[in-house]
Amino acid sequence: MTTATAEIAAPAARRWSAALRPAEWQLVLPLALAYAAFFLVPLVLLILVSFFDDEKITTMGGAQWTKFLGDRFTWKVIADTLKLGVFTVAATSLIGVPVALVYLGASARWQGVILFVVILPLLTSVVVRTFAWIVILGREGVINQTVLWLGLSPAPLRLLQTEHGLVIALTQIEMPLLLLPLLSVMSRMDPNLRDASSALGASKWRTLFRVTLPLSLPGLVAGCMLVFASSTTAFISQLVIGGNRLVYLPLLIWQQSLVVYNWPLASAAALTLLVSVGLGVAAIAAVGRRGHAWALR
Amino acid sequence: MTHGQVTRRQFLAGTTVAVGALALGRPAHAKGSVTAAMYPGTWEEAFRMHVAPALKSAHDVDLEMTPLFAVDQIAKAQAARGAPPFDAFVLDPGPRVTGIDRGLYEKFDAKRLTNLGRLSAGMTDEWGVTIAAQVVGIGYNPKKLPKPKAWTDLLKDPWVSRLGMTGFQTTYGTVSIIEIAKQYGGSETNVEPFFTEIKKVLSKVAAIGAPASMPALFQQGQCDITYTNTQTVATLRGRGVDIEFVKPESGAVSFYTTMHVAKGSKEIENAYKYFDTVISAPVQTALMQPPNNFIPVNREVKLARDLPMQSLDEMAKFVHHDWAKINPLRAGWIERFNKEVAK
Repeated sequence: MTTATAEIAAPAARRWSAALRPAEWQLVLPLALAYAAFFLVPLVLLILVSFFDDEKITTMGGAQWTKFLGDRFTWKVIADTLKLGVFTVAATSLIGVPVALVYLGASARWQGVILFVVILPLLTSVVVRTFAWIVILGREGVINQTVLWLGLSPAPLRLLQTEHGLVIALTQIEMPLLLLPLLSVMSRMDPNLRDASSALGASKWRTLFRVTLPLSLPGLVAGCMLVFASSTTAFISQLVIGGNRLVYLPLLIWQQSLVVYNWPLASAAALTLLVSVGLGVAAIAAVGRRGHAWALR
Repeated sequence: MTHGQVTRRQFLAGTTVAVGALALGRPAHAKGSVTAAMYPGTWEEAFRMHVAPALKSAHDVDLEMTPLFAVDQIAKAQAARGAPPFDAFVLDPGPRVTGIDRGLYEKFDAKRLTNLGRLSAGMTDEWGVTIAAQVVGIGYNPKKLPKPKAWTDLLKDPWVSRLGMTGFQTTYGTVSIIEIAKQYGGSETNVEPFFTEIKKVLSKVAAIGAPASMPALFQQGQCDITYTNTQTVATLRGRGVDIEFVKPESGAVSFYTTMHVAKGSKEIENAYKYFDTVISAPVQTALMQPPNNFIPVNREVKLARDLPMQSLDEMAKFVHHDWAKINPLRAGWIERFNKEVAK
């Protein structure tokens, strides 16, 4: 009996000691605990608060969700927020990919210079960059003065407080987020692959589309996800450059939480932003995977 | 004893001497401090420059400031649930009423202020003390536009195409919109006529922006006329911006800025000393001077010439609003404003 128990107990004890032995997963423990305390717990609280009917958080119910999601205006705001993200991703990619290709072909010294220029905007606060865009896009700003001086338009163009003005500003503000992962993937790319492609008779364009871009796609997808998540939630830029006529989800959250103190409604709006941006990011990842598979077929 | 080794006794003795030396070397400590929430920008700078030194020299109390807008103070205090991150609030009437409603202040005893007799009647109540006044009217660029006369001019040509607007998220924005609505038949609780009128001219309006960005938009020429308070006009003028303040025909709006003790504060005594310093004549005089441009409430202060009144008694003639009536409607107005102006 005793022997049998010992035989059964021995492997269990070994398993326990193996589990308790310092292993790699324990290295992530501090971060995991910090995430649990500062992200998961607040997130659960946010979900709980959104299920209260009144501003003073006393009666539970789904009234705020019904009110928020039952309003057609909310859906327009969600659509506008996601659209802003898509436009910013498109604009940053259109400008960022050529820059990355220049980086790829440059000498080590010039690569350093390009990398510095890419990181440069990150060295100033986003608030400063945003206010600087008022000076650039304003009626009497640099762009309008140039346009008037060249005689391209009889009156100053309206750039501030328009969606295209906001996309222009966000393109510059978010550019480092696209370029850093893209450049990191590109710099690890084996140059022999491109040489092999040319040696086998592929044109420059064919090499670009069949070798260089497919191989840098993971970096591009990562960059696009960062830009999408960051631009859809860029409250300060949206508010200062877009003004109050362009209403996005972060503005609704701010108004409900800090001006009218309706925290349940603010929580519902915040969770809606989290879910819709999460879905957008997942969609970019899915498109990236398909694109990668297609390009390498 | 061997070289290179320290016994436990030596270690303890050494530590005691070191800690003792540190304690002896500490500078004389102030009688305490008070942490005050403070509007960022002009207010914070002015208080750092004038109130902090006055409080230190009169009461030996250090002033520490947390820069927060009125709405943020209410949100923070509410989130802190009885353990406030600051001891004193500074608020406009709307958030003040919300704070009373949510029980965020200690009861106020005006008799503890030595400068109480120098304030006009009604400047204190059971919740706090008035420390400054604000006057709201129209600010415009005289080099670009003719002088407007009435609130309704804002929605007419040539002014409307240069108009910069904010919504209901600030006190000055809310009261200005109420005044515009009143001219078209609305009232303090009915801003419907404003929405009807703004819809007709919305495409012409130069800018509808965040309150914090309005001075920058005016400075950059994005708009040349806006509703604003005298302090912002004076501050912009001080920076060389072409801007003049106009009292509309139906009267400029006035409201008071008040201070309150945060519920659960551990520095109540020092908070009263702080309030007393803020309303004292020398500090109020200093706060009135450019570049601070506050409107004082202490009757002993000789008013500066460019203020929109000759004496503080004239304040009664300005338009006042009842925020207990406005606050319950504000959430609805904000939602409505979003929907009406959104592209």
